[in-house]
Amino acid sequence: MLQRMNKIQVIGPKTDLSSVVDVLYHTGTLHLEDVSKSIAPGDTILKKIDVSKASEISGLLVRMGGLLLSLPKVPDEPEKQKRFFDEVRKATPDELTTLSTATLGGLEETVKDLSGRKADLVFTLSTLAKYEDIIGKIQPLENQLPVLEGFEVTVILIQREFREVVDVIRNIFVDITHNQFELISADVDQATIAVVAVFNKKYSEQVHSFLFSQNVNEIRLPPEYMGKPFREILTSIAERRKKALDEMKGIDEKLGQLSAEWYQQLTVLRRILEDRNEEIRVFSKFGQTDYTFVIIGWIPRKFLNRTKEALEKTFGKRVLVHELEVAQDKMNEAPTFYDNPWFVKPFEFLMGLIGTSSYKEIDPSPIMFIFFPIFFGLMVGDIAYGIIILAIALFIKRRYQKELWLQHLMNILVMCSIPTIIFGYLYGEFFGNFGEMMGWIEPVEFLGITWNRIDAMIPFLILAISIGVFHVFLGLSLGIINAITERSKKHVCEKCGMILAITGLIVVLVSVAGMISEVFTSIGVVMLLIAFPLIIYGGGFFGAFEVMSTVGNILSYARIMAIGMASVVLALVANELGGSMDVLLVGILIAAMLHILNIALAMFSPFLHSLRLHLVEFDSKFYKGGGRIYTPFKKEGEG
Amino acid sequence: MVDWGIPIGAGIAFGMGAIGTGMAQMKIGSAGAGTVAERPETFGLMVVLVAIPETLVILGFVVSAMIMIMLE
Repeated sequence: MLQRMNKIQVIGPKTDLSSVVDVLYHTGTLHLEDVSKSIAPGDTILKKIDVSKASEISGLLVRMGGLLLSLPKVPDEPEKQKRFFDEVRKATPDELTTLSTATLGGLEETVKDLSGRKADLVFTLSTLAKYEDIIGKIQPLENQLPVLEGFEVTVILIQREFREVVDVIRNIFVDITHNQFELISADVDQATIAVVAVFNKKYSEQVHSFLFSQNVNEIRLPPEYMGKPFREILTSIAERRKKALDEMKGIDEKLGQLSAEWYQQLTVLRRILEDRNEEIRVFSKFGQTDYTFVIIGWIPRKFLNRTKEALEKTFGKRVLVHELEVAQDKMNEAPTFYDNPWFVKPFEFLMGLIGTSSYKEIDPSPIMFIFFPIFFGLMVGDIAYGIIILAIALFIKRRYQKELWLQHLMNILVMCSIPTIIFGYLYGEFFGNFGEMMGWIEPVEFLGITWNRIDAMIPFLILAISIGVFHVFLGLSLGIINAITERSKKHVCEKCGMILAITGLIVVLVSVAGMISEVFTSIGVVMLLIAFPLIIYGGGFFGAFEVMSTVGNILSYARIMAIGMASVVLALVANELGGSMDVLLVGILIAAMLHILNIALAMFSPFLHSLRLHLVEFDSKFYKGGGRIYTPFKKEGEG
Repeated sequence: MVDWGIPIGAGIAFGMGAIGTGMAQMKIGSAGAGTVAERPETFGLMVVLVAIPETLVILGFVVSAMIMIMLE
């Protein structure tokens, strides 16, 4: 249901502008218009509002975000936050930036230093862990190393699959050190071997540059560990780790204290800065004179009093809300506010595929809510398929709660699954004819017809076409209402003529087929004779061709029967093929696979064709679109 | 003697509809793919546009089913 909109003008002293914007932002009802566009020639030209604080506020926002990321998170204290929020929210932009800069001042520097030192310590700890790991692994080799003065020890890690590299290194070392070296290798783990090389210190440079040039994984211990026994190194590492951990604990405590002291305040300041940042972005839409500001926007009629009260409560008579009179032909500029109940919302999303309704039109979404699931159910019509589609839709809904578009689609599938089960009962289908074969269910006899889809093909086709006639007539009737709203006499005549022409055609066809008395043939012809002048008056000479297009639209509803048939035949094939297998398990497997394929198709094809029947056949009779959606100025995600 | 006229007629009715739909969808599909590459937000509309020519094959199916049922 589309809501009635009012155009309002908010006028007040310039000193109150940012507070008024803040109140409007939190009320969240006004769709802002650019004032400069509403000024007619001869009107007072309003100056645009200068937005000088924007970059300062966005800079502060970034710094605030960085600071909050560095501080350990503490639980929100709503009481404390609300108190501070109430204190600060009325601050002018200047006061707010001054307060934020002062708060950030010393705190930002301290937190930055502490966080930097903590990062250094984390790096140290990870390096120590690496050394400890490697030394632990090569410690068993220590006994084999000769203890020699003036000799250097280095460790190389080599992947086991390249162990032949050890011989290559050995040969090169012979050349570099003139045979003054020792190589000892041992398995570190399943994938790695460690090679410990002891060589004369005077060849150190050549050895390291060779290893570096060969891109060998050489572990170079820090200088303080050089020449020490491995056990001593491990003890030293443990001591350093303890020191680092103690220091980190101290830093965490300090950060924790700062967080406890400042976190609530910083959170509130960030929220207010975010709000102000959003508010400032729309300042360029406002107009100003020397002492006053002007804000213009659209507001749903049902929110008007609420907004007026909110402004009056804060500013008394200082700020005026003036309802503007808008000429009927200008009302099409009003934004479209869909105000549908939750169960119609998913269909709004589908309608969004082809744009937004214009303000004066009838919103097709509620009608879609009624017919879309019925069409889907008529096409799929199987109890088991309905239950499976319902389960899949509920599962996906639960699994992907953050994907709004998927939520909408799954909500529609949930709604569609119910008529699917109901029509499945009418057709007597449970996995095609499986339920009937097992004696669980039978097609229902209704209006003298047993609704077995295979046998009742012609009645089903007539039903589909009849639904088409009803649906298209409904569309044309809505078109008449839209035309009356727009006071377009020609469109009223065209739509009335179309209804009359189609009715006349049907009457002629039915009476020629002998289903009703022949007298009706002449009545039908008279109807056609009255209809054509109306259509030509409303839609011109080519409007007459629209009759054929409308007949095509009605025949298009035969897809309800045709897609249903395709679905039921595939289900029958699944059961027949599965049943013809000699091995029961193979039969069940084949039938299950075909049914899964059929369900996947059933979720896609009937959905798409239901949508198409609405968007192409139905909506084209009354829907023009081209509107713009009502987007109130408010915090993202707030009611 | 089997009367082959009816199934052949039904086959032509269905087959020609399918060919017509295929030809139309070929052009709409390729143009639609180009559009979606440029403007991904048009995907929903393109899916609907691609489905539009399916009327032909569906009417073909209905006619062929009627030939089979009514003439046999």
